[in-house]
Amino acid sequence: MQQPVVLKSNKYGINLILNDHMEFKELLQCIIDKFKESEGFFKNAKMAISFEGRKLTQEEEFEIVEAITENSSVQIICILDNDQLKEELVRQKIEQFEEEQAGRTGEFYKGTLRSGQVLDCETSVVVIGDVNPGAKVISKGNIVILGALKGNAYAGANGNMQAFVAALDMDPVQIKIGDVIGRSADKTAKDRKKKKQPVEPVEPQVAIVKDGNIYIEPITKGLLNSI
Amino acid sequence: MSEVIVITSGKGGVGKTTTTANVGTGLAQLNKKVVLIDTDIGLRNLDVVMGLENRIVYNLVDVVKGNCRMKQALIKDKRYPNLCLLPSAQTRDKTSVTPEQMVKVTDELREEFDYILLDCPAGIEQGFKNAIAGADRALVVTTPEVSAIRDADRIIGLLEANELKKTELIVNRLRMDMVKRGDMMSIADVTDILAIDLIGAVPDDEQIVVSTNQGEPLVGSDCLAGQAYANICRRILGEEVPFLDLETKSGVWSKFKDLFKKN
Repeated sequence: MQQPVVLKSNKYGINLILNDHMEFKELLQCIIDKFKESEGFFKNAKMAISFEGRKLTQEEEFEIVEAITENSSVQIICILDNDQLKEELVRQKIEQFEEEQAGRTGEFYKGTLRSGQVLDCETSVVVIGDVNPGAKVISKGNIVILGALKGNAYAGANGNMQAFVAALDMDPVQIKIGDVIGRSADKTAKDRKKKKQPVEPVEPQVAIVKDGNIYIEPITKGLLNSI
Repeated sequence: MSEVIVITSGKGGVGKTTTTANVGTGLAQLNKKVVLIDTDIGLRNLDVVMGLENRIVYNLVDVVKGNCRMKQALIKDKRYPNLCLLPSAQTRDKTSVTPEQMVKVTDELREEFDYILLDCPAGIEQGFKNAIAGADRALVVTTPEVSAIRDADRIIGLLEANELKKTELIVNRLRMDMVKRGDMMSIADVTDILAIDLIGAVPDDEQIVVSTNQGEPLVGSDCLAGQAYANICRRILGEEVPFLDLETKSGVWSKFKDLFKKN
């Protein structure tokens, strides 16, 4: 006998292959059970959904979507037809959505990033620790370092020039925001020697793009409001 | 409760072999049963620093390949009967041994020795992977130079990635006069970057060159470097030993020496 519902994932979400010979109410219950079963797997996933194997009315489609969102933590962004053109549009929509989310959501990384290590994030990232010379942080959103930035940071990796890099101790080798790259000033022997003298206490700074250049400035209320 | 300790640095020439020889000898002086393994296959020199080159018959590769028994390859030290050396092969390369085989070797030695010290080759390739495979603990040696610190940082990252949790730092070749002038990084500068526990700081000392050339580790002698190594050994055993005040002592010491030189 054909299974009432089969879940198949594709690039943007999942495809539901539905049984054509069942009562809709019965089928709906099967779908709910299926999603409850795989709750741990989908956990808070945001996805597009598409249907196959059965002709559904718009009301039925909505009913299914509602049932899924009510009974699991899955968030359905949109309903997808099995149609090339629409698929492309949806892909763009989803990517745009992810891009927006990248700036707004974030993750934490605890620990020191050492030479040779690369932290690559889809969202903004907060590093609790130092980023040492030779290490690299890449983020599609913003980068905040609760420690010293002595290595490379690349914020707005998908070309977002509004992204920023903030650090408690800003001493980077290179900062890239969007398409703009800034590197540290070449230190003269004199500077290096000077550093050994008791230095003034370091202050947190933030790097932003202004007029196509990267500026590093102390974090002030005014500056924070402007970004 | 034997412990396998790897001595590593990433960069070459910072004093891994010298540290292995001195720490090994120092632990033997503290009546521990110690074996030193030279994992630098193809570029062996721990035996030279220990002054045991003329006693080599079999080596690490022979043991791994089953050409001899472990007992046959172990060389007893000429000064301390509880200290042994497992030399590396000179005519092979690093690929002659795999990490799995190293684990087997170290596990076999655990039964008989309290401390198994692995002298790691420079670099992060096969030789490094072999050396860290069987280790419980790592001593990362660095000098207060940016290049050495950069490599040490990479090594610490790799050790963490290999789940070697107990990693401690030895800062070698410190010159307090240069630190004071601001021409060299201080211990605090180094630990600030590397952010791991410091287990010892060893001053730059002419006596080290003399001792390595003679094949006589200087640990326990009354020069500053010898004392520093002896302290590291006691810290490895878990003792709380205050750090040597390199600054004043080296000052007095050098003045003392200068006095003699002038006469």
